Amino acid sequence: MLANHDENLKRTTNIEDVFSDEVPTIRKDFYRSFRNADGSQHFSEEDIDAQYARDKQDFRSNYTLSYYYAELLMLDAGKWFNDGTPEQGRTSFAAKHNGKVVYNNGVPSIQYSDGLYVSALQDQINYAMGKKLNRDSEGRRVLTYKIKDEYKDMTLAEIYKAAKAAVKCDDPSVVGSKAAKYMDFVEYSFGDKNGSTAYVNDEADNGNRPGIYPEFKESWLNPKDIEIRVYNILDEWGWNIITKPETANNPFYVAGKVNVGNTNGKVILQTFSFDALHRAYGVFKGQVPMCYLLWISTPAYATDIAYDTPTGYADFIKYAQDNGAHIIGPAISGAPNNYPEMNNPWQAYMIRKAGMLNHPYSFDSDAQMKKYMGYFVNFWGENPTEFDDLLNVNVLATPYTTFKESSSHPVYMDGFFTNRSEISLHYMIENGFRCNAKLANPFRPGQTYDNSQAPSTVPNADAVLDALGY
Amino acid sequence: MPVLALCALSATAQDFDSKPAVTIDNEKEDLHFTVGARFMADAAYYHNDFTPMQSGAAITDARIRTSLTYQDWYFYADFGFGGGKFSQKNIFLQYAKEDGKGGRHAVKGGYYNDPAGSMARNTSLGSYHFISRAGASNALGEGRELGLTYKYTNDKFMAYQGVFTENQYNKEEAGFNGIVLAGRYLYRPISDEHQTLAIGGNIRYQHVGGGVREKNVLKKTLNLGQTMETFVDEDEQFVSCSLPWAENVLDAGAEVLYHNEKFFARGEYMYKHVTKKRDSKTLFDASNNNIDTWGTLDAWTAANPLRSNNFHGGYIEAGYMIFGNPYSYDKNEGVLRGLSGRSLEVVGRFNYTGLNDKVEGEYFSAGRNQYYPNGYMEDWPYSSTSVGGGAVRSYTLGLNYSFNKFAQVMLDYTYHHLSKDFLPYDKDFHQVQARLQFVF
Repeated sequence: MLANHDENLKRTTNIEDVFSDEVPTIRKDFYRSFRNADGSQHFSEEDIDAQYARDKQDFRSNYTLSYYYAELLMLDAGKWFNDGTPEQGRTSFAAKHNGKVVYNNGVPSIQYSDGLYVSALQDQINYAMGKKLNRDSEGRRVLTYKIKDEYKDMTLAEIYKAAKAAVKCDDPSVVGSKAAKYMDFVEYSFGDKNGSTAYVNDEADNGNRPGIYPEFKESWLNPKDIEIRVYNILDEWGWNIITKPETANNPFYVAGKVNVGNTNGKVILQTFSFDALHRAYGVFKGQVPMCYLLWISTPAYATDIAYDTPTGYADFIKYAQDNGAHIIGPAISGAPNNYPEMNNPWQAYMIRKAGMLNHPYSFDSDAQMKKYMGYFVNFWGENPTEFDDLLNVNVLATPYTTFKESSSHPVYMDGFFTNRSEISLHYMIENGFRCNAKLANPFRPGQTYDNSQAPSTVPNADAVLDALGY
Repeated sequence: MPVLALCALSATAQDFDSKPAVTIDNEKEDLHFTVGARFMADAAYYHNDFTPMQSGAAITDARIRTSLTYQDWYFYADFGFGGGKFSQKNIFLQYAKEDGKGGRHAVKGGYYNDPAGSMARNTSLGSYHFISRAGASNALGEGRELGLTYKYTNDKFMAYQGVFTENQYNKEEAGFNGIVLAGRYLYRPISDEHQTLAIGGNIRYQHVGGGVREKNVLKKTLNLGQTMETFVDEDEQFVSCSLPWAENVLDAGAEVLYHNEKFFARGEYMYKHVTKKRDSKTLFDASNNNIDTWGTLDAWTAANPLRSNNFHGGYIEAGYMIFGNPYSYDKNEGVLRGLSGRSLEVVGRFNYTGLNDKVEGEYFSAGRNQYYPNGYMEDWPYSSTSVGGGAVRSYTLGLNYSFNKFAQVMLDYTYHHLSKDFLPYDKDFHQVQARLQFVF
């Protein structure tokens, strides 16, 4: 499971510099790096040559699915950010050295880069638990690999044929519809395995315990059993709330620190994909929060809504709900992204009417905050709207709000994705949605929600990065 | 031939089936010229569940007609200006001869109604007993085409057949304007001056010729649709479909009509079969421009299936004359005539139009207007062959009053029940329509 924002790796890594558009030339050395107990090469040269030919046949340039994770760890996944946004760049984001193959007495081994990596799901879970990557003295992560026990006596040709689909760890009747790629024969030492440690305590850990939100990307980028794999990995790390639920009323803040990672909201899944939504429902059964994201285009792309009419919008809400989603994530308009508007008041109303949470994306400006938090239509409480019966909120003043007693107005979301956390946090604090002991619960009239434990100050983003050692 | 006989002969062959009021006769040259006009204004109020229809009033038809008769030759032209723009109506030349045995032979060429277009479509709207023809005849029947026909009629039989093209101007972007063979055949076991019983059938073959060129392939599309039996809002979104890759069309219909002096009843059944054809190889080759190729033509064809479509519909309608001149039948055209002189009638109709041709078990997404063959939404599903044009059942009651042979008012109430996947919240439609009509 990898963190992979785009369809391919060209924008967010230096893959084109490290590998060509062809199968990495180091691939054969990667196969040679598997050794027997006596140090001899595990796979024969003939077997490797034949596998390399098959690799070429199956290869899709720059697509994650065509590379071993050890190869991806040779890439620099941070420099692109410096190149794209130099004003926010930091030297530490870029690797000092790309990965390469090193030879010790003629025995090849993969040497990873020493910067930021293409992350694994296990990495994200560990970051959320206050861990960091274990790195060696040269700044390279420590992550060994070996052949999985079930394949250890097979040739590469036999492994190629033996690939099988993942099986849900607690329900063997749920099996992936298609075999995973043969590349799955490699086992990496996430955690403490094979005498190595992948994660260590982070000395910069500030005690916050956030959750994670894995996204199932476009279905054609993944094996058809990816949802089962995620289920199993979450289970392996104790982050699967189905197999290991948290106490129902665990608070989201404890002593001023984020505590989501210790609640049943610790994992929120998301996807744009019809396939992934459908398959995830078959695996997670709607028991892990799922956000279904909306996008529109003309002509409609494979995973997009084509008709954002009330009928079309309702159809997508219904389909998402029928397939185990709890949250709708519509795009919002406005600079700088200028996404299509999919969170008009009537659309927010339909989401609420369906009993789902509305979690639009992505917020980049104060103007967007004010628009979707209802400020523009509110007119200081003087302008009732046709959506007030469900979307209106009455927010009591806190010591941090810009109003003194209360503020009443409709809000067109329940949460949101932000690219500018400092703007969003300031807005939430000043408008009483954060640091409030009596925030009305829109889904349970009469009940309130207490997030008064949340910090009332917003740290400087650069200072946070400094504190984290970047 | 006596002039009156000629007038009677010619009047039955034109689009309006009322006799023109203005005639100019040149007895010396045996030339007879007529001029006439027709005007219709409708008002309609619609009340339906969800998607709004536009109530209001409109000039729904305005026409000028003219004809010239010379011996056995008859020329007719009819020009429409309804909706504020010119539209081509009937224009044809006919040669007709009676054989002395009670039969009549007519050869006609020009632009006029396809014989197999349906009984309703061969009946002039000005003579119709409802504000609109039955929806099925508009969706599945055919209208005017450019062609040549031969028609034989006598008291008992009518055989009317010919050859046509589908587009009178040959303005297709690619291809040609196709070819149509059509025929309508009637048998009248009862046929006297008081009553008629006519039963018949029609059959029509069309080779679709024109279309657009897409990826270097001729793509021919057949569009079917009807309004909600109204002219004030002519939106066809509720009952319509588009059939790409149409190749041949076979229409078959059956009809029955009975009338006496005070009562009429008639009905039709219409069936349409549309075959498809596509240059799959060229399209497949054109799709092989990136890494997502289907690989083989067989794989591409499996993902983009093509099949024929079948649709059907029909109606039954009846009327009762409360007072006025008796109902009459035009045996040359094989249709019921309109009201003549001061009269009052009450009418009723049931219509069914079926433009759904769906594959069972598929999932439909209204947000994408797309059917999914595996029963759930997928990112890159195989194409579906389902057609969800909609199925509508329409029930109409009407009252028609004719002040005289020129002026008439009509009032219709219609209830529609629609079933269309793309418009799941549009089920029930109520509409009241009124018409003021003047013909001379």
